[in-house]
Amino acid sequence: MTMTDDNILSDLSVLDLSQGVAGPFCAKLLAGLGAEVIKVEPPGAGDSSRSSGPHLGDTSTLESSALFSYINTSKKSVTLDPALPQQAQALKTLAKDCDILVESFPPGHLESVGLGYSDLTEANPDLIYVSVTPFGQTGPYSSYKGSDIVAQAAGALMYTIGLPDKPPLKVGGEAALYTTGVSAFSATMMAVYVRDTQGFGQHVDISAMEVMTVSQIHSSIYAQFGRTPARRETNLVRAKDGWVSPGLETGVQESTWLKVCELIGKPELIEDPRFTSQEARRANQQDLLDVIADWAGTKPKEEIYHTLQALRTITGYVATVEDLLVSQQFVAREFFKSLPDPEFGEVAHPRRSLPNGWQHLAVTPRTPIGRAQRRDTVPTPGVHPQ
Amino acid sequence: MSTTSNKPGLQGLRILDLSQVAAGPYSTMFLGFMGAEVIKVESLSRMDINRGKARPGPDDLRVYPNGDPGERPWNTTAHHVHRNINKISVTLDLSADRGKELFRELVKVCDVLVENYRGSVMDRLGLGYDVVSKLNPQLIYLKISSQGATGPEANYGSLGSTLEQTAGLASITGYEDGLPLMTNLVYPDPVVGILSFGALMAALRRRLKTGTGCLVDLSQREVTTMLLGESILDFSVTGRVAGTMANRHRDMAPHGVYQCSGDDMWVAISVGSQNEWEGLCQAIGQPELATDTRFADPESRLGNQDALDQIISAWTEGQDHYEVMHLLQSRGVPAAPVVKGSEAIDDPHLEARGFWDVVEHPEAGTYKQVTTPWLLSKSSRQQSTPAPGLGEHNYQVLHGILGLSQGEIDTLVAHGITDDTPTE
Repeated sequence: MTMTDDNILSDLSVLDLSQGVAGPFCAKLLAGLGAEVIKVEPPGAGDSSRSSGPHLGDTSTLESSALFSYINTSKKSVTLDPALPQQAQALKTLAKDCDILVESFPPGHLESVGLGYSDLTEANPDLIYVSVTPFGQTGPYSSYKGSDIVAQAAGALMYTIGLPDKPPLKVGGEAALYTTGVSAFSATMMAVYVRDTQGFGQHVDISAMEVMTVSQIHSSIYAQFGRTPARRETNLVRAKDGWVSPGLETGVQESTWLKVCELIGKPELIEDPRFTSQEARRANQQDLLDVIADWAGTKPKEEIYHTLQALRTITGYVATVEDLLVSQQFVAREFFKSLPDPEFGEVAHPRRSLPNGWQHLAVTPRTPIGRAQRRDTVPTPGVHPQ
Repeated sequence: MSTTSNKPGLQGLRILDLSQVAAGPYSTMFLGFMGAEVIKVESLSRMDINRGKARPGPDDLRVYPNGDPGERPWNTTAHHVHRNINKISVTLDLSADRGKELFRELVKVCDVLVENYRGSVMDRLGLGYDVVSKLNPQLIYLKISSQGATGPEANYGSLGSTLEQTAGLASITGYEDGLPLMTNLVYPDPVVGILSFGALMAALRRRLKTGTGCLVDLSQREVTTMLLGESILDFSVTGRVAGTMANRHRDMAPHGVYQCSGDDMWVAISVGSQNEWEGLCQAIGQPELATDTRFADPESRLGNQDALDQIISAWTEGQDHYEVMHLLQSRGVPAAPVVKGSEAIDDPHLEARGFWDVVEHPEAGTYKQVTTPWLLSKSSRQQSTPAPGLGEHNYQVLHGILGLSQGEIDTLVAHGITDDTPTE
């Protein structure tokens, strides 16, 4: 059999009962690999992310959220309320035929309406049931509520972010929730592989707190090895139009440093004992940044980035969303895709959160609430399907 | 009828792991937790950077247990101990013909190859995807790189901190003054490590269906930019350029961190719904605030955040940050202490869920290890095995898998192809 890379999951269907960012992002990634995703939203206001900013129009409507539009590509939408018995029954019928169910209700809620894991596996024993919550299905905080900042705080990510003389700072946007969605996706993919090879489904339990505790990457081990991780100063230098990190204090060969001194018009620095070795440059990092700043302040940030990278440094420049859309690298790899929104016209989407070659063809814009565009067998709200 | 099991679901998969630093090693660490056999390949002259220097200087000691590098410093650095668990270690000089030859033999008996070298290093070694996929057409080759395998910047170098810049994440992370900041935590690395695991599972499923492996080209910059999706959509339609917001939120207020008792202790609080707002007013003993016109609805609260923050700070000041969480959560208000690394390892919730593994590392001592960002009800996690010493499993791999005799291995050692002590 031949297959294109966007139909790795084209034989699977996903019932996405989740709301907000993390669960729906997991379902988006599954859709990107070709799974059929039916998004179920409560009638009325729909998914909570529909009211989240930024909004693409002048006013906030059910269809104007950029957040919702981004996270819910390639899905069909149907409105059903699991709290109403008849509609819960309709959901149960849908769940009988799906391969994967993604949900983000407080632990115990779906059990209370007869849609828990053990309820649904009676009729669909090999179901993969994915629960994505702030603190997971068990443990003393399992009923606690969460958000992006709460996950970053609880998971020991946030404490070391920011400057020493200021409060801890969160990573911007909804980074923790997206990462939680990525974890849910990866765990779901493993459950799918296990089902393929071993023949059973299972319950996947994702805790945003734990995703962050995995992501803190070294605070917990440093603490145990006797080192106190702390917030620290930044090494960014001001360019003419923004910020760069010159990347000269680590991993730079001596020949590179000589070229940099010539480049910035200060050959006398070659003999300067503050900078003659990598250790010296690291020890005198602030002096080094000051010297570079004199030069960098007159140059555009992207020019500095390309010029210094060509000398085999590890230079960065702070890209804004505006810069990202014109980045030569992103353009060359066709990273952004313009999708026609039914209301707002052409909208740029990062189209690939999975490897190059994957997730190219399957992306379609958000479907307006309650409209199952590509499948005619989903029930209309409140109607018991035959 | 479905059967149940409780074994790590990836038993029988063999991973050839050339990855270094964080993103790749994290991904293969997860594979090891889920039962795969992970063979970590390093050379004696170029160990995984996580192992630090062969002979650390006085400025390097902070990465060792209690500042003590021990007899074999390369086996005890924090990063190595923490990211290379569940792996076995073999050393091979991939610049030598015999080293390449043995590597190609390993390629034939592995399911997955993971590497995150700069751009074209594997091609220059003559071990790129074109070569290894001919040796083993079922091989899945995960190439994690800064910019992806193609494009004008394909050979650019990066660190986690520079990826945060070039992917845009730093532009939306920072205080009110607008200065962009990085996380100090190489945040793109764990994200890519977690996503890589799922990408590999997808590639394995693809192999089940087609019988062939594939190249998985993962750009760390692209993966990181996906964290800014809504701001990209917004810019493309409205022209608004997202910037820093400190700890504030577009829709929620109050939303931030508030100082508590103790040294640099804080609690994070976010209020979205009206119920949460009323819960907060009750919890802080000021129910009358719920009807205060300054804070009556989300728009008013967003417009009066400085006043809100003052009221809340005055209440949290002097309180224990865990106590504040429990009290607010009992009223349905999202809140959590801003946990330090030293607190996370004793957190009762993580403890109750069995999140940490206690690992007895023979050279670095006993410590608590991060595990997986998921729990699967029927595919249990394997108990951590300590991060391997350099070349600790040379015999197991070279004899046990490749069938070399002890004499042949001795010859390799004599030629500097393999050993368990780094060259200077």
